[in-house]
Amino acid sequence: MSGKVSRQILLYGVVCLAILIVPVLVDDAFLLNKYARYLIFGMLAIALSLSWGYAGILNLGQATTFGLGSYCMAMFLKLKTVPIHTGSDGLPDFMVWNNVTELPWIWVPFHSMPVALLAGILVPALFAALLGWFMFGGRIAGVYAAIITLAAMVVVNLIIIDQQSYTGGFNGITDLARFEIFGLTFDAYSASTYYLVAICLTVTLFLALAVSRSKTGLILQAVRDQEERVRFFGYDVALYKTFVFALSAAIAGLAGMLYTIIMEFASPTFLGVPLSLSIVIWVAVGGRQSLLGAMLGAVLVTGVQGALSETEAFLETWTLVMGGLFVLIVLFMPKGLAGAFEALVRRFPKAAREGGARHAAEQSPKSQPHLGGAL
Amino acid sequence: MDFVVSQILTGLSLSSILLLVALGLAIIYGVTGVINLAHGEFVMLGAYCAWLLQVQFGWSLLASLAVIFLLIAALGWLIEVAVIRHLYDRPLDTILATWGLGVMTQQIVRLTAGGELRYVQMPPSLSGSVDILGATDSAYRLFVLAVALGLFLATWCIYRYTSFGLKLRAITQNRAIASSFGINSARAYRLTFAYGAGIAGLAGALISPLKSVSPEMGTTYVVDAFMVVVLGGVQSLVGTLASSAVLGETSGLLAYYSNDTIAKALVLVAIVIIIRFRPQGLFAPRVRA
Repeated sequence: MSGKVSRQILLYGVVCLAILIVPVLVDDAFLLNKYARYLIFGMLAIALSLSWGYAGILNLGQATTFGLGSYCMAMFLKLKTVPIHTGSDGLPDFMVWNNVTELPWIWVPFHSMPVALLAGILVPALFAALLGWFMFGGRIAGVYAAIITLAAMVVVNLIIIDQQSYTGGFNGITDLARFEIFGLTFDAYSASTYYLVAICLTVTLFLALAVSRSKTGLILQAVRDQEERVRFFGYDVALYKTFVFALSAAIAGLAGMLYTIIMEFASPTFLGVPLSLSIVIWVAVGGRQSLLGAMLGAVLVTGVQGALSETEAFLETWTLVMGGLFVLIVLFMPKGLAGAFEALVRRFPKAAREGGARHAAEQSPKSQPHLGGAL
Repeated sequence: MDFVVSQILTGLSLSSILLLVALGLAIIYGVTGVINLAHGEFVMLGAYCAWLLQVQFGWSLLASLAVIFLLIAALGWLIEVAVIRHLYDRPLDTILATWGLGVMTQQIVRLTAGGELRYVQMPPSLSGSVDILGATDSAYRLFVLAVALGLFLATWCIYRYTSFGLKLRAITQNRAIASSFGINSARAYRLTFAYGAGIAGLAGALISPLKSVSPEMGTTYVVDAFMVVVLGGVQSLVGTLASSAVLGETSGLLAYYSNDTIAKALVLVAIVIIIRFRPQGLFAPRVRA
């Protein structure tokens, strides 16, 4: 393992450690809930960075898979509520209001926790795999793929709103039980839930890092830079793209499940255009070709948003500021903050000499500039 | 018989709206390769201009059409100069930049005109209905259909028979070689973008009496219009016409048997399956790449 890689793992580890010790320093359940939400957005950013930054698949509908995961968890938790809160025979309340007499078949498996947890990851992944198989098999790439992901999201969103008696429609699924596993109860406003999110984030980050550093990750980056050439080498480009698309969806699904636990409801807005746009903005701000950068971008942007939205003046102009910032970043800083940070590090010869000189010696001239630096 | 005719007319009305919105999009994408996600916002702005001119100045919708076209075209021209022209070699980034611009436009409209629904009066001369083969249809819907076809024809003639159109076709096939023959491709791109935006504005103004006007209205139209372009195949104006007709009629029919949402979902599924086997679109001409 070269020094560069171990330095990267160290940096990732330090950030994750910092995230994990937050509850020691902050003893405010409300704040922890808010921070956990930011971390979940960070997971979404990692998911998009994998497919967009590494494989060049701009997914404008990342929120679709997030929402699917979120609904899986909400369906499970809804069935766990005390019968008083639901209708007769344990039927969810909104179904009673919609004159549904027995539990629809898609709801039945969600009585079981393992099934529900698996579904939260597999349903989004299978959805993405299917969409990916059609798109990438048809060699749809670039802008076209982006548009189709967007359209798919709009349609899924419409279906969820339309099928009110099965999904709760516009109101979503509310009034959920608390998530319990191994005798632990996860209250949305508690340190234990924060830890749950932080651990999931850490695992996700390192999993994504491992994938990006693997041979598959290399091939994906090659596909991003020169798709045709990789195809001529005999690789099944569509298969690799479908894989990373599904993996990214699985991560988003996991994030969606956690989000339901944190927010205590699921709503069609979770797979809306505004959230999807936000994910793209976070990743663009943080740096699309850096997993850590993308994640920190999400935490930073949503953190600033959360702070500013408490002041009256910014509540309405925030979208405007964000849109403008986004356009500027696209125009002038395509690699985001992570790219700017790396350029900065490179400019200071001192820092470069400390870490880089030893490093330059052991790394042959054919080092791969595209694989990103420490971030 | 009545039923068949009225069903066809409903489909045609949907088709004409699709064609109006998709036309500008198809021109811009076909010539410059830019996916303009702010297109829906151009449509929305056109509708708001119609509303503003009507409420503030008492203009009838028909009188304001030309003004709206010029206004939105000027806006498109400005956006091309300020943002888009820097991104022609980064197609994915044009999506992002135009998306950002779209969001800003939406928010500006929400802050200035308010987020509530607005309504535009139909021109009184067209508010009646017309009998066609036993079925009745609103005169205004037929008018929109006529305008959509007229705009399509005009665009097609410009593309096919004017020297500017010839230059556009040359640029579409190979920008570098066209430029080396002295064609000012930067100017052609700018005019194309402005023209596409203007048509979008016109579409918005024409749609406004049929639907309510709100800052979010653009999103649904732009997604539908993209489906038209994807299905029709880029760089094919006739493809855009044909696929708007097919999609409009299909949605109309499916919506009759179930509802709008299911119709939309089924159409999307069909499109995803079709592009798997015909990625170039249904009606794309054979061109050497």
